[in-house]
Parts: sequence; structure tokens; C-alpha cells
Amino acid sequence: MLKYIIRRLLYLIPVLLGVSFIIFVLFNLVSGDPTAVLLGKNATAKQMMELREQLGLNKPLFDQYLDVVKSAFTFDFGRSWATKQEISHMIIQGAYPSMALTVPAFVISTVLSLIVALVVAFYRGKGIDLFVRFLCIAGVSISALAYILFFQYFFAYKLGWFEISGFEFGFPDFVPYIALPAIIFILLSLGPDVRFFRTVILDEIYQDYVRTARAKGLGEIVVLLKHVLRNALIPIITYVVIQIPTLILGALLLENFFSIPGLGGITLNALNSSDFPVIKAMAILSSVLYIILSLVTDVLYTFADPRVKLK
Amino acid sequence: MKGLVVFLSIMLTLVFGCSKQNDFTEREINLVSPEKISGFDPINASDKYSGNEAGKVYEGLFEFHPLKRPYVLVPNLAESMPEVSKDGLTYTFKIKKGVLFHDSPAFKDGIGREMKADDVLYSYKRLADPKLTAKGWWVLDDKIAGLNEWREKFAQADTTNYDEPIEGLKKVDDYTIQIKLKKPYPQFLYALAMPYTFIVAKEAVDHFGKEFLNHPVGTGAFILPLFDQSNMIVYNRNPKFREKFYPSEGEEGDEKKGLLSDAGKKLPLVDKINVYITVESQPKWLSFMRAKTDIIEIKDVNIQQTLDEKTELRAEHKEKGMRLFMLPMLDVAYFAFNYENPIFKNIKVRRAINLAYDRDEANRLFHENTAFIAQGPVPPGLAGNRKDFKNPYSKLDIEQAKKLLAEAGYPEGKGLPDITIQTRNETVARQQIEFFAKCMEKIGIKIKVGMNTWPELVNKVTKKQHQMYTMAWGADYPDAENFLGLLYCPNQSPGSNGANYCNPEFDALFERATIMQDSPERTALYEKLNEMAALEVPWVYGFNRTDIYLTQSWLKNFKVMEFNHNQFQYLNVDLEVKKQLSKKF
Repeated sequence: MLKYIIRRLLYLIPVLLGVSFIIFVLFNLVSGDPTAVLLGKNATAKQMMELREQLGLNKPLFDQYLDVVKSAFTFDFGRSWATKQEISHMIIQGAYPSMALTVPAFVISTVLSLIVALVVAFYRGKGIDLFVRFLCIAGVSISALAYILFFQYFFAYKLGWFEISGFEFGFPDFVPYIALPAIIFILLSLGPDVRFFRTVILDEIYQDYVRTARAKGLGEIVVLLKHVLRNALIPIITYVVIQIPTLILGALLLENFFSIPGLGGITLNALNSSDFPVIKAMAILSSVLYIILSLVTDVLYTFADPRVKLK
Repeated sequence: MKGLVVFLSIMLTLVFGCSKQNDFTEREINLVSPEKISGFDPINASDKYSGNEAGKVYEGLFEFHPLKRPYVLVPNLAESMPEVSKDGLTYTFKIKKGVLFHDSPAFKDGIGREMKADDVLYSYKRLADPKLTAKGWWVLDDKIAGLNEWREKFAQADTTNYDEPIEGLKKVDDYTIQIKLKKPYPQFLYALAMPYTFIVAKEAVDHFGKEFLNHPVGTGAFILPLFDQSNMIVYNRNPKFREKFYPSEGEEGDEKKGLLSDAGKKLPLVDKINVYITVESQPKWLSFMRAKTDIIEIKDVNIQQTLDEKTELRAEHKEKGMRLFMLPMLDVAYFAFNYENPIFKNIKVRRAINLAYDRDEANRLFHENTAFIAQGPVPPGLAGNRKDFKNPYSKLDIEQAKKLLAEAGYPEGKGLPDITIQTRNETVARQQIEFFAKCMEKIGIKIKVGMNTWPELVNKVTKKQHQMYTMAWGADYPDAENFLGLLYCPNQSPGSNGANYCNPEFDALFERATIMQDSPERTALYEKLNEMAALEVPWVYGFNRTDIYLTQSWLKNFKVMEFNHNQFQYLNVDLEVKKQLSKKF
């Protein structure tokens, strides 16, 4: 397994080279000259030229690409062009509130979805199954923005149960601020998660080994929890783990509406201000996270299903 | 199981039991900034919100009087207004004695030292430092004798030598400096009231290096030892703030409005300022309605929630004692034609498009009738905007528009290609262009919307790749030059003249006017330029918008102020009123 892990980690090298190339090409071809945006409304042509020189945008393209590659492999992203803040500090500062919101919400929504999916699979085709499926479809049909606007207005403002917006660093200070956005996160996740988990569980429920288990006289709950769930774990693990990078990178809408200073807002600001170093850092960070987490997924497969061997 | 119940109980208490209210007993004010603050380096404080934050900690030689209108410049760190030589080129400034920088580890023993002439000169040189490419450099660019040469000299060097003398920046003694201009620059003193020229201490810049932007060390009324870029900035009163007092005179009617009740009191009047960074409209509005904040700038969707059909404050807000402030902004919103496009070289096409735009309806739809129809580039309230001047092309006249279009060779719009207006990808911007397109349909012109991110829009305009684009320009200082410059030929793209309008007669008059001191002659020239631009219609003139603010009843001394970044030191809180009214929230 160790050899497999090392080999997979080595995949990072071509992936990072590819990601560096793609973001470099996109930035140079699509977004154009960032200096006018960075210098503001009174920028002069001369000042823009000076800034280009200072940002290294006058260097040969290959040299500029090498700079991107260098920062991808050293994780030294330098300072933001727009805010002049140190990017590593911005990421650490932003990851904390993002994760404070998304991680507990994600854990709760995943566990809850799994429980609901097991229950509706148990009662498949009955009233409760139909009702939950209806709720799931209704839930995903309503835009996230509608949930946010309504919940913020009703539960935070009208009833005063939650903070309207804001964030404080440190546990438990942040709890009152993340409670409502976390509830919305959970509600938004329940629809698609329950539907996916239910489908995966139902796929297993009709397998021969389930019939065998039942024939041996095992109760339905034991069959579901001990046999079906275990065999359904592989697609569930894939689905769950692959979402983790998005948790770290933040929930943009929720962060914006609840004034949570997370990474979602940092990325959006960077896009709006042609802040290439920050865009580059976020793209590289998400690629690395995806690679590492897909490796984690593979390793978890071996625990979920002993037949799986990593070679 | 028992553990789980205890855990859940604690979490529920945390979630529901800690909803924080405005503190009704502390002399503090709670504000909102709708944009993230990138840092506290004054030379880069280019937008209103960064300037407002920098202005709590830093100060300049001058500031705008907090109450007088039209805006009047008054000394701040300067002892008095400067002595100006007869040729208008040499300014001698006396600086206040005994002004202390905030305490900071940058200074010996951590104690803030006195600000002196060297600090002023250092701060201005820093704005010109080629290594820093400051956003505010334009205010001194090509203005001070020898400064551009100094900048050029160190542009390619490894470091900038601040000790190298500059002809136009001289220290006379510790409290006197002399600045020599290259040519008359009547807006110069305005530049010295802008955040870009706020005074910083060299020790702080050296000590904190690249992190200086997070460690503001100024002379201002409030201190902020560390800026941590989170969603909240908390300032405390500067205990060593100099003897500065609330003014005892304002404009007519100020006394009646209670704006002079704190006259003579030592500043600042509050102990603490909390600034919440809140980008979206709804949380901003709800927080204000819950009295968690004391001032709200009303924009877009919140206008309807604030005003009734008579454009007055809604009854439910009056009941809570809230106060409404409306003041025409020194700004202009417009759709610019690109003169590089041959179609728009034809004045009849430009005039026809202007005449077909239903501004009254647009005002109702997008500004709740709070904006004023722009008659030219110079907004009302500035010398250069004649009150009785009405632009004949800023009214709706479909018949005349059709006639002009036919005369231009495009009867009923035939032969005219579709026109794309570039704008930002924001809902309101798109709706405004869709409405504009509906207006143009009436004369047979087809308009398309080009949605862009801000960098994309700026790129298209700077590279002249647009047909038309939308823009709003807010005054940097109260002088018509700041608006007329948008049509000055040398400022064409990539400069601020995105219409690429070039008119030698306009340019010659503009060059004459911009070196004149404020006088009736200059005003006459500004008026002529404004009216020339109005009739030439290089833009579809849109609106001069209105600043709308709501404040809580306990907030004292608030007055809409577009330029004074130091205004927060004048604000006060009536604790009695606050305590009484707190029950209503």
C-alpha cells in the first residue's frame, strides 16, 4: 500500500504542472492586463506600464510560467496583487471560518442523510418513502438564495433566535454566528444526499447476498446496517470525500450573506480584481486537495471492502 | 446518552443564548463597511471605504469642515492655511506642534513621538516611491518640481533613496515645509486632504516592512494596533489625541438641527468604533433594523424599504426615531459612446440616442425618483454646473430622435448595426441596459447587453474594444476639473476618458481652466466646458444620484459627507435616547 500511496502522491507532479499551465494560459489569454483594475480609476498608461514591470508581466512568457510552477511546488504564493497581504496568511485566516461553518454542517448533514436514506430504504415504496422523496425534490428545486433570504429574515431577524450576520474567531464564540448558516447548509445538502444514498442502498438491497441474509433469518435492521450499508460504503465514501475540498474552499453564498470571512469571499474578490497570485494559489490548493483526498478515498476503500487491494 | 444530552444543551445555549445586541450603555458607534478592507496603507486607500478606515487612524494636513457646505477646506495637521506665492507655485505650510503618533513598538520604548516636517515630506515622497506603485500617485504626478525626476531616477534602482533632495519638497524647520509646484495646481490643497497624503511615520514603515499595511500608526483620533482582515474592525479612542475640538459654527440651520450641541467639546466624542464588514444588502438592512448598527447607507433594494411614495421616510421607521439624510451626490452615471467607432462620430446619432432615453421612467424604476437627471458631466453643487442650464438632449423626444436618426442616414434605425453596451455582471446593471434597449427600440436601434466581470470591462474599455459602456464617476474632490477631465483628449483610454472624446477646442479651454485658481473667470470657463460637453453628447447622460443614509435617533452630529474621511471623530451618541429607544428594537 505504501508504494501505491507514494506513486499516487507522485501524480501530483504532472497534475500541478498541468494546473499551472492551464491557469497561466487562462490568465494570460482571457483576463488580459490586470494593471488597470489594480491601479483604480485614475490609472495612467505610464503607471500601468510601471506596474506591469513590477509584477513581472513584461518578462518572457516562459519565465512567467516558470514562476507559476515554482510557486505551485514551493507553496510560496507571495503577496496578493490587490490587497498586498501575504497569501498564505489570507488562506489560513479564511480557511478557519470556512471550515468552522462547513465541517460541522457537512458531518451532520452526511450522518443525517445516511440515517434518513436507510429509513426510507427500509420503508421503500411506502408513504414515508414517497413523502421524503417529495421533500428531497422540493428541497433541491428551491434556490439556495431563497433559503438564505428567508431563514435570515425569519429566524434571525423576526424571531431573533440567531445572529443576523458576523463571525468571531475561537470556539465557542463563533457558534452563534455559524448556527443558522450551518442549518441552511444541512437543509441544502439533505435533498441531493438522501436521494443519492437511497439509490446506492437500494442498489444493494436487491443483491443475492441480501436475500441470502434474509433467508438465514436475519432481521431487516441487521441486514440493512450490517450487510447493505457496509457494501454501499464504497460509492458513499467516494461521494463524501470528494466534497471535502469544497468545504475548505468555503460556501460562497452563505459566507457572503452571513458575513463570514471565509475563503469563498477571498476567491471571489480575487476574481473581481484580477488578483492572479490569489487565483493561482486557490486553484493549486484545490488541485492538491483533490489529489490527496482521492488517495484517502482509495485507502478508505480497503477498510470498507477487504477485497480491495491497492497495488 | 447523558453526555450527549449535556453536549446538546450546551450547544443550544451557545446558539440561542448569545445573540448579541447593540450595547445601549457604551459610548460607541457601530458602522458597516460594504466592502472588504484590504489594508491600512494610506497611499493605496483609493476607494471611499478604505479611505474611511484610514481616516480613523491617519490624518492629513487638511480636512473638509464637517458641517459647512459647499465643502470648505480647513487646516487639520496644518496650523493654518498655507502661504501661497504670487505666481501660485510655492506653498509654505506651518505644521501643528505637539501632535503625537500612536504608541507603537516601532518607536523607541514603544512611545509615539511628535510628528514633524520630516514626516510630511517622507509621506509625500513615499506616495511617489516607484517601488510602491501607489494607487494615489496620480494626485502628485507631474505636480511637484523634481518629484517625477526623483521617481524616474529610482525606478530601475534596487532601493529608493529618501534622503536625496527634491527641489519642490523642502523642510524650512521642524514645523514648516515648503512645496514648489511645476505649474499652478489649484486642486493641490484638496490632494492634501485625501487619504493618499495622510502622514505616516518612517519608523513604522521600516519596522513593519511589508506588514505595515496591517499595523496602522498614525496621529488620528482612533487607534487600531493590529488589522487582522477579519469581518470586524474595532477602534479605540486615542488617549493621546491632541487638543482638537468640535466646531462652533456650521451652515445655516445646523444649530436648529442640533449639530452644534457639542460645540467646543474635545474630540473624539466616542470611545469606540466597531466596523462590521457586510457585503450583502439584506444582512446590512436587518442589522440596522435590529439596532446593531447606527448608520446605514441606503442603496438599490433598500431604497424602497426606506422611502414611501412621497420619497419620505416610511412611518414605521419614524416611529423608531430613525432619521433620514438625503444629499445629491457629486457623481454622474452615464453610458459612454466610443468615438473610435465611426457610428458614434456622427453627432446626430449620439443626440438621437440621448433623446430616446426615458430618464424619468429610469429614475422611477432604478432610483425610486431620488436621482436627478444629469444635464452634463459636471454634477449640481459644483462650480461649473449652472442651475438654470437644461441640456436639450437630456429630455425624452422620440419624434426629434427619429428625425435626427434619419438625417444621420439611419431612418428608423435601418442600416445601423446592433450596439452592444458593456457593463458589469450585476443584476441592476443588466436591468438598466435592458430598459435602455427598450427605449431605443422605439427609434429602431437594437441594443445588446455585454456582461463582464470588472476586470473584463476595464480591459475592454482600456483597449478601446467597446462600442458603449456604462460608468459612474464619483468626485475625488469638489472641483469640476475632476469631471471635465473625463473628456480631456490626453486622458483617453487607457486613461479615464473611455469615450475617447477628442475636441481641440474643449482641450484648450480645459488646459486654461485647470491652472486657474477658483474665481468667477474659472467658473465661467467650467460652465462653458460643461455646456459644450452637454451639447456634444459624448455620453448618454444618466443621473446624478443621491446619497441616502438612515441613522438611529441616538446618533448625533451626522451629516452626509463625501470627502471627509475623518468625520467619525465628530460623531456622538446620546446615551439617554439610546437607552429609552432600545425597547423598541
